[in-house]
Amino acid sequence: MRVSIIGCGTMGITYAKNLASMEEADLAGVCDIDAARAEEAAKAGGTRAYSDYKAMLEMENPDVVCVCLPTYLHKRTVIELAQLGKHIICEKPIGLTLEEADAMIEACRENGVRLFVGHVVRFFPNYADAAGQIARGETGGPGVAHLKRYGSYPQGNGQWYHDRNKSGGVIMDLMIHDIDFVRSVYGEADAVYAAKAQAGGEDPFEFAMVTIRFRNGAIANLTAYWGYPGPFTTEAEFAGSQGVLRLGSESSRSLIVTSKEKGPEGKAAVQVPQSPMRHDPYYRELKHFLDCIRDGSEPLVTAEDARAALEIALAAERSCQTGQPVAIGGKRA
Amino acid sequence: MKAKLKVGMISFAHMHAASYLQALLARKDVDLVGIADENRERVRPFLERYGLAYYEDAGKLLAADVDAVVICSENVRHAPLTVQAAQAGKHVLCEKPLGISEAQMREMIEACRANGVQLMTAFPCRYLASVIEAKAAVDRGDIGRIVAVKGTNRGTMPGGWFADRSLSGGGAVLDHTVHVMDLMNWFLNSEPEEVFAYAATLFHREPIDDAGMVHVKFRNGVIAVLDPSWSRPAAFPTWGDVTMELIGTKGTLFVDAFAQKNEIYNNERMKPSWSYWGDSMDDRLIEAFVLALREGRSVPITGEDGFRSARVALAAYASAQQGKPVRLAPWDRTDG
Repeated sequence: MRVSIIGCGTMGITYAKNLASMEEADLAGVCDIDAARAEEAAKAGGTRAYSDYKAMLEMENPDVVCVCLPTYLHKRTVIELAQLGKHIICEKPIGLTLEEADAMIEACRENGVRLFVGHVVRFFPNYADAAGQIARGETGGPGVAHLKRYGSYPQGNGQWYHDRNKSGGVIMDLMIHDIDFVRSVYGEADAVYAAKAQAGGEDPFEFAMVTIRFRNGAIANLTAYWGYPGPFTTEAEFAGSQGVLRLGSESSRSLIVTSKEKGPEGKAAVQVPQSPMRHDPYYRELKHFLDCIRDGSEPLVTAEDARAALEIALAAERSCQTGQPVAIGGKRA
Repeated sequence: MKAKLKVGMISFAHMHAASYLQALLARKDVDLVGIADENRERVRPFLERYGLAYYEDAGKLLAADVDAVVICSENVRHAPLTVQAAQAGKHVLCEKPLGISEAQMREMIEACRANGVQLMTAFPCRYLASVIEAKAAVDRGDIGRIVAVKGTNRGTMPGGWFADRSLSGGGAVLDHTVHVMDLMNWFLNSEPEEVFAYAATLFHREPIDDAGMVHVKFRNGVIAVLDPSWSRPAAFPTWGDVTMELIGTKGTLFVDAFAQKNEIYNNERMKPSWSYWGDSMDDRLIEAFVLALREGRSVPITGEDGFRSARVALAAYASAQQGKPVRLAPWDRTDG
């Protein structure tokens, strides 16, 4: 399958590396309006760089296009690709509004192409294992969950993450991973309550705390943080009637390298503990989506799931503004 | 300064009494006068082991030569016992939650004020070494201005009267909101202004709330959330936790107060267990109570502190029932 990439930021480069190492895929061009970024991704993936995606589509004639663009460009790009008959793997969140999500899903349906949204946490082995354990009943009936996701303030090209109208902010862009995951565990949400602290300027941050009540009775509190001074950290706990399952990025470091050598700046080189695996979660995700295209099967996470996660994220944003709980699916909380 | 403080204990219904007793017995500046408990069986081991006087009726203990009492009764009896002690002119250290209604707690505070005795709420978590260091770091400005706090006080279902609303006044949300809420009040130097909460029965068969999530907005703009659930299963290696994560404009601070533990894997028990080796918070709580009274100073954690924290749990129940946020009147306006 010929696969092209539009958008060569962090995600585009990650996709390029993984697709290049995947037997199922034939990486067919990468594109970015910033030629240097496109070159970097092309080098990483052993393919050709483009700065005009129309030219890339014409020259490479891909079966599948990965949309790794800022969120505000998803709808326009996905609809155009659907009309050209391309299958689409789109980064999360699916879009900025439910109207955008609906238009994208509808355009793909009308044009008979598949649409996948990169909710990659489903493909992280620790989260995938947790979902399986909970589904098998290891923790018993639904209880109280916590999910946490802290990282630095993302530095996208042209600082697009800083613009709420382009990224949607920390709930829509970062917490949405955990929103999708916890929904995959507990099912449909009933109501959301949320609060947020943020600041702009020199040292911007955005911290959100969101509590979701599910129809099955479960209560989940999610926290997400852009501007965390520590290492990127994820944690989750699921407490149920029969047990507790916990996972955490910091508690599963399987490799720690320390060195007496000084780094290039004369300081001790930063030692980042690792949890290496043969394939990273993006590889698993992309391979799964390509498998789904080949055999027509349903993906682990559908575009409708992505829309449902967006609905909860938008409700959380509304709750932050109104200070009131917000019902999901039209029902009053 | 008073050389010795004469202390009596009223009720061992709450298991913390045993730990407070040990802390009192270990002090050279305390004379333990005796234990009052209508249930003699419950306190018999302590009476025998330490040769302590027994009072079936708390009134008899209060009539004795006692400076102060420690009350560890069922929650619903905190108010009548505290008022009775105050009227007898005894200082009071009362187990948390201070009371089960705002009116009750105001009555307790007022009775102690009117009778010139001090009322301290037993919030030993303020005496955890990590919490003391965290408070100092916050006060020094190490993490800048606090903007958000997430806390947990997850525990094991205590059973017994804790699960009987007519004696406890509430389940996990009342039992386990107050400790960390007190820490938040103390760290933030502000007051809760609005509470939104869920409360539910998810973990156990007993018909009382064992799960919850309590969101609080403080007057100074800080947002907070707290998990008070009795969500630790029997298989869990310890009773529960006290954690607090503070998000500041210049950094973050994470307290996991019972992380000072060794892990034990034992074939007979067939489950891992944690052996806590950190300092005893109860020893320091008792020390603070005793020293304040001996030196004639104000107790460091007051009845007002107990009120401020417990009213959040009461508001959480109201919010959970109404499905919407509940506003709290400023303390000074409700102050009788």
